[in-house]
Amino acid sequence: MTPEFHLTLPVERRRAAALPPLPDFVTDLRPSDAAGPYERLARVGRAAELAGLDGVLAPFDPAGQDPLVVAGGLLRGSRHTRVTAEFHPGIATPVYAAKLSASLQRFSGDRFDWRLTVDLDPQTARAQGDFLEGAERYARAEEFLTVAKGVWSQEDYDFQGSFYEVLGGGLLFPLSGRAFPRVQLSGLSAEALALSARHGDVHVFGLDDDLDSGIAALRELSLETGREPVYGLRLPVLAREDDIEARRDALRLWIRRGGAREAFPEPDPCTALWPGFGTVGLTGSHEDGPAAGFHEPGLVGSYGRVADAVRGHLDRGVSVFFLEVEPHLEETYRLGEHLLPLLAKEKHHAG
Amino acid sequence: MPVDFYWRMAMEGDQPSLRRKGAASRGGFAKDATGGLAPGTREGGPDGYSHLDYLAEVARATETSGFVGALLPSFPHTDDPWAAAAALAGETSVYRFMVAFQPGFLHPVQAARMTASLQVATGGRVVYNIISGGGGPQQLWWGDKVDHDDRYTRTSEFLDVLKGVWYADRPYDHEGRFYRVEGGGLPPSLSGQPFPEIFFSGSSKAAIVAAGRHADHYLSWLEPLPSLAAKFDQVREHCAGIGRVPRFAVRLDVLARETEQEAWEEIRRGWARPGPAATPAFVGLGDSVGWRRGQDLAGEGNEDDGHRALEVSPNVWGGFHVLRAGPAFGLVGDYRQVAARLDELIGLGVEAFVLGGVPHLEEAYHVGERVLPLLRGGAAGRGGGS
Ligand SMILES: Cc1cc2nc3c(=O)[nH]c(=O)nc-3n(C[C@H](O)[C@H](O)[C@H](O)COP(=O)(O)O)c2cc1C
Repeated sequence: MTPEFHLTLPVERRRAAALPPLPDFVTDLRPSDAAGPYERLARVGRAAELAGLDGVLAPFDPAGQDPLVVAGGLLRGSRHTRVTAEFHPGIATPVYAAKLSASLQRFSGDRFDWRLTVDLDPQTARAQGDFLEGAERYARAEEFLTVAKGVWSQEDYDFQGSFYEVLGGGLLFPLSGRAFPRVQLSGLSAEALALSARHGDVHVFGLDDDLDSGIAALRELSLETGREPVYGLRLPVLAREDDIEARRDALRLWIRRGGAREAFPEPDPCTALWPGFGTVGLTGSHEDGPAAGFHEPGLVGSYGRVADAVRGHLDRGVSVFFLEVEPHLEETYRLGEHLLPLLAKEKHHAG
Repeated sequence: MPVDFYWRMAMEGDQPSLRRKGAASRGGFAKDATGGLAPGTREGGPDGYSHLDYLAEVARATETSGFVGALLPSFPHTDDPWAAAAALAGETSVYRFMVAFQPGFLHPVQAARMTASLQVATGGRVVYNIISGGGGPQQLWWGDKVDHDDRYTRTSEFLDVLKGVWYADRPYDHEGRFYRVEGGGLPPSLSGQPFPEIFFSGSSKAAIVAAGRHADHYLSWLEPLPSLAAKFDQVREHCAGIGRVPRFAVRLDVLARETEQEAWEEIRRGWARPGPAATPAFVGLGDSVGWRRGQDLAGEGNEDDGHRALEVSPNVWGGFHVLRAGPAFGLVGDYRQVAARLDELIGLGVEAFVLGGVPHLEEAYHVGERVLPLLRGGAAGRGGGS
């Protein structure tokens, strides 16, 4: 499996970042409008493109911008990176989701992917107008993907289920015939794994998950379905020239996020695992609340050590990495220039 | 009262001219790719451009030639307007995106979030064309089996929820026939944006009732002027009953040339070209009252009758649907005649136009530069200028 590296985009919860004033004697030609959320996202997207990452992920966050709108703009601004939008099945009918996506595929040369969240926490879901709970959500997700794929690839498509009904459907030329978005799914429940075995192209784990048993379970299910997703991992990273520098910057991050210096957890010297990526109250400099998408454990260490840890995951069967970094622009260039070259062999000689 | 002129984005692809009926070879919509562009071919392979690149050119042309923005229609055979608007948000500066959508297909909370995001991305340049669907096989194609009048009930509830979420200053709850929300609202990064102006389409009684509650502009396809005037009166009457003053908008194609002969010659050549009518059969088959009106008023276009038989009053021609996908009526004439007919429409109370012309790129410049400057306004129109 060729490893792939995707950058998780920031959730833009702020409107415009205020710029600090310059001293009077400094000529100040800065545009009066500070870069807004879309300009900031576009810059991060271009960073991922120039730094050679394989893709970017626009996560769903109720407090942030809409991932489909973000994805539309980023696809327009890039040539190579894949762009994933995260959404839940309640946002639209599967026919509409398919049609909108077919246009994005036409506009981008088939670079658009889906991450379908099925298990929103119930309060968030109800605020989005979605009252389904438990296993029913997986039943709907199953239908959603079945119908979306059905209209995508068939003519005169009929479907009658518990959630959706289509008669004489099917995308028409020239919206038909594009590549269906790669479907990313996650979750460890029996329903989640079963859904992935039937419809997932990438099953995404977290570092906390029991990867080996998750992968084993999916492999077994895929014997029945005859298709197997590839495996992905959410991976917060802070990599530097050496371990000492990495530790220093992890400590800075910790303190910036409101962590107490005495409570700083040390990165594991062997595995580079560091549990502090999202543990603290996350207030500090984040005036609008925690930076979402910054999951708890991640990797802190030298480029070499982080590359080793990535290789370890490759050996266990993971091939798609959703990197989470901060600040996005600098760290993306850093990864592109220092970490990815160490993994060039895996990237180019994969089986 | 200022009059807003919108243009269209040809989400269905574009033809090189009306002479080439049905051959939407711009944007990749013609099955035979020879001579197509965006995507085109270079050295035997695709040139890497897409419909979006062409749409971007049309948007730039539209923006600089006197239009305030464009309608982005949405049919089964077209590209999607939300996708196009999101992709092009950063590429124009004042151009408004009039996104057409059917309320049933998106959840209203998602519509609120997408719209607010687009407002942030464009600096508040989103406008809605709320359509409630043409029914029939097309509606089932979309996966929607709600029938005609219920679709308008749903549209109404949809817009209530969308506005409820948009303006919520405390957690918004709703429990209705089609939608339920608990603790909804927009986060700080999306709230406080201007709510899009609503253009509302539909000719039936149910449409007029729903529009009365929600529309900023009642948008109609062009019809022969007396029939359009009667329809406006009907809307005025309904609105008077609920204490609102409606504003009117009309969508029409224009074909304007230096001389009248030149304009009709363009039509004649398209008409004479063999081949089926451009409008997919799909579009006309539903329960749409407005579509029926257009077809009945135009008569069934028949090549033997000759194209001029469809000129129902001077310069008002009901055969456009034969030459390109879309509704029947538009204006044909020299620049002055077309401007005078537009003045007449302003005289009937029209405050916004969605004009179109094929091909949309060249015609945007053409109409913007040659016709719009000749407009004199409603007073001239009511005088029945020539
Ligand atoms: C100006 C205008 C634009 C329309 N655009 C669309 C469109 O983009 N997609 C669509 O499916 N229907 C479109 N419609 C059709 C409406 O969905 C609806 O079928 C039509 O207004 C008839 O409704 P009625 O039965 O109330 O007359 C449009 C209608 C009008 C008047």
